[in-house]
Amino acid sequence: MKFKLIYPKWEKLPGQTTFNLPPHGPVVFAASLPSYVDVTFTDENVEDINFDEACDFIGVSMMLSTQVKRGWEIADEFRRRGKQVIFGGISTMLHAEETMLHADSVFLGESEGRMEEVLKDWKEGKLKKLYNFMAERPDIALVGPARRDLYKRHLYNHKGVQMVDLFHASRGCKFSCYPCAVSYLGGRHFRPRPLDKTIEELNTIDNNRLFIVDNSLAQSTDWELDLFREMIPLKKKWISHTIEDDPKVLDLAAQAGAWYVYQAVYDTSDYIKERIKRYHDYGIGVEGTILLGLDNQSEDDILRLIDFLLEIDLDLAEFTILAPFPHTKAYDDLLRQGRIFDHDWNHYNAGRVVYQPKHMSAERLQELYDYAWEAFYKDESQEEKMFKLFAQVMLKEMKDGTYRPRDRNLITKSFGKDVVRKISN
Amino acid sequence: MKVSDKYYDEIFDFLDQWDMPSKCGLKIITKGNKKIIVVTELYQDNPGTSVTYNGASLAWQICRAKGIKPEDMIYIECNPDTNSKLSFYDEEFFEVSFEFQGDRLTNPTYKALTSDEIRNYFKVF
Repeated sequence: MKFKLIYPKWEKLPGQTTFNLPPHGPVVFAASLPSYVDVTFTDENVEDINFDEACDFIGVSMMLSTQVKRGWEIADEFRRRGKQVIFGGISTMLHAEETMLHADSVFLGESEGRMEEVLKDWKEGKLKKLYNFMAERPDIALVGPARRDLYKRHLYNHKGVQMVDLFHASRGCKFSCYPCAVSYLGGRHFRPRPLDKTIEELNTIDNNRLFIVDNSLAQSTDWELDLFREMIPLKKKWISHTIEDDPKVLDLAAQAGAWYVYQAVYDTSDYIKERIKRYHDYGIGVEGTILLGLDNQSEDDILRLIDFLLEIDLDLAEFTILAPFPHTKAYDDLLRQGRIFDHDWNHYNAGRVVYQPKHMSAERLQELYDYAWEAFYKDESQEEKMFKLFAQVMLKEMKDGTYRPRDRNLITKSFGKDVVRKISN
Repeated sequence: MKVSDKYYDEIFDFLDQWDMPSKCGLKIITKGNKKIIVVTELYQDNPGTSVTYNGASLAWQICRAKGIKPEDMIYIECNPDTNSKLSFYDEEFFEVSFEFQGDRLTNPTYKALTSDEIRNYFKVF
């Protein structure tokens, strides 16, 4: 049978450098399909969907709330053409009831070990409207290796530079952070993948640069140490979310190829300043993630925070506006207080205010968000700062003997499209 | 973010809309012919959905389990104090009203309760 797997596009935030990374969820899902399934994959962010392609069954995989409306449109079109459509993925779980209106079937939960049943039902014409495995998480050892062979690699390449590959070493999260739904989606228990399988999969990835997408690596010190120790011989270079603030862990992370980390910057304390410095001391870059619009932030607090960022030597900064995603405490609080005024999921892109902030108008928060980006990148653009980080990784790779020059055949292409050169007279 | 057991008399197990096993703190106080139901969010000790996200269904599940007529209940959601440095986890109480639709409750509306109102209700905390 031919299964067409689709990842819907979403509108990118204006004014920011756009990079299309090869999506992780769909290829991890594809690994859970039985071997008799012939899968094709279309990432609509980098290529158009061929609605006429011969196929038997359609899967729509969605990660972001900003993908769901487009996902529904795609499903509506395929269903008009007589195809059956099943939805899955993180944002399917967060928006399941609405998604059911556009689906023949909705899959909730993790797909490992479940797809035989779904496909058998489909073959017998007994596809269920809902496959609900939210409360029955599979054995973590069943995960992967992801079907990265499904990527059209040239579409994830910018001027000859291959984008990082995404990878995950665990699921679940023991933290329950205010704006995050992961502990609901993946469970409140940290579930590391077996180390040997993790390393085996890492070894098969034909890319020296990775983004380890686990929500936080700082879940278990022993696990982090073991993981990093085993990663050292692979000589990969990688980006990740927070790493534990422990000299032993940071040292091993650096040896294992930590390139830069996303680190939340939530106040102007000496602790944050020192935290950034400690990463740098180990040669690990830092992209600060700054969430604006929390109830404990006044206008002055935000302005002070932006000034602080310029003082603490961050390599990059990413500003987002609080988005009250379903199944977060932020959503519960703002809902109870009647402060959510925009329910259009396309606007839940973390760059747009969809609720009434506590200490300022929605318009003022939007202005401060724009100002934050502008102020941080005033003296050195985002592209210039990214290039500096990129240069760091190139140097490390040259030292390791793993550096691969740019692909000259793709030097005039950016994510599959011709590069339009700006020529000034 | 351990929640003090002063907020509840028992842990109540409930299911979210997708049958996800979930837990909350529960205290029921009889006041005249009214039952004051206080559900407390347990944060890290709640494996499933929050008391708010699926509030109407939770209220219904409590009424059924405890034999309480919905029209006799005063329903209160509690965000307990967790001694967190973050103000989002300060203690808050909300009185929640529902509409009856056939055999279920719908459309929760919330009213934040002041400390005085809370004291009037319980004289407990």
